[in-house]
Amino acid sequence: MSTNERSIWEKIADQLRSKSLWMLHYCTGCGAIELPPSMTSRFDMERFGMGPMATPRQADILFITGYLSAKTLRRVIYTYEQMPEPKYVIGFGSCTLNGGIYYDSYATINRLDYYIPVDLYIAGCMPRPEALLEAFNELMRMIRKGEANGWKRYKENYEWYKQNQLRSLGEVFIHDEFHE
Amino acid sequence: MTNSMNNTIERLKSIIRNLKVEEIDEREVKIEIKPEMVLNALSLLKGSGYSHLSIITAVDWIEENKFELVYILFSWNDGGKFIVSTKIDRKKAKFVTVKHLWPIARYYERELHEFFGISFEGNDDMRPLFLENWDDLPPLRKDFDPMEYSKKKFPDREYHKDVIHEAKVIRGDLNG
Repeated sequence: MSTNERSIWEKIADQLRSKSLWMLHYCTGCGAIELPPSMTSRFDMERFGMGPMATPRQADILFITGYLSAKTLRRVIYTYEQMPEPKYVIGFGSCTLNGGIYYDSYATINRLDYYIPVDLYIAGCMPRPEALLEAFNELMRMIRKGEANGWKRYKENYEWYKQNQLRSLGEVFIHDEFHE
Repeated sequence: MTNSMNNTIERLKSIIRNLKVEEIDEREVKIEIKPEMVLNALSLLKGSGYSHLSIITAVDWIEENKFELVYILFSWNDGGKFIVSTKIDRKKAKFVTVKHLWPIARYYERELHEFFGISFEGNDDMRPLFLENWDDLPPLRKDFDPMEYSKKKFPDREYHKDVIHEAKVIRGDLNG
């Protein structure tokens, strides 16, 4: 079955999935500050059926704010691969798009979709909570239409993604006291 | 300068000849000394109440071929701050540790080893502190080119349109 084809059951499942999304936010860069107003009463993310989730194993969306250094990218890849399918990735801010103001940094990556598939980008530095909610609505629409299939692309092009990860990181495996 | 700072400088002058003192602020003084006198000066300052080591850092003076090591000491008695600076050779980037005076110094020294390539005699724990799998010159040296490294390691996004050119046309800077 090709990436975009879905069975009738999958179409129904996607309708339901878009109504109940749990978001894991990976906020090592800046931009995490836009999340509290989005989650709490001012902009109220919950009215769309979305909520924050503490662990990758129970989350649907991986929400990455701001820049990722080579060090944090390793952790993001770990996190992404732990998440159950279907999983969606949102890149938030210019830094995930093209490096932003850290385009020439020796420590930070320049584009996220080179390493893991990104379904949706939010451009800006920083994007406002309104932009965030717009993006969530867009993601829900994409899920319903079957367009948010980054997780399928990751499985299909696994070799390509691994090769890119190895090119930039040398080694994806993490050697530290928490992982060994 | 406060009185206690003046007294401390007098005591420093008694052990170090040609002490270069630069008053930055009312409570902030920079002293420049030779590398061999640094440990003496630091232990004297520690004994005079400047017992809080705020940071150890380095400046790369590539034209002079020197690394400037900077120790910032703080006193909780009067809020005075001493900046002890010394210049070591850039080629043989080696100095002595101060971890027997301040145990926390071993982390600052690890950091300096990682980002400048300065090693400290007496401190053998020089494992990388922040970077993982680093494979180039120490990144905060002036002869390291971050742009080149970023190009080599982290590919840029390719754009089909020259957006900046278009924006200039729209704004009227250029005639489209």
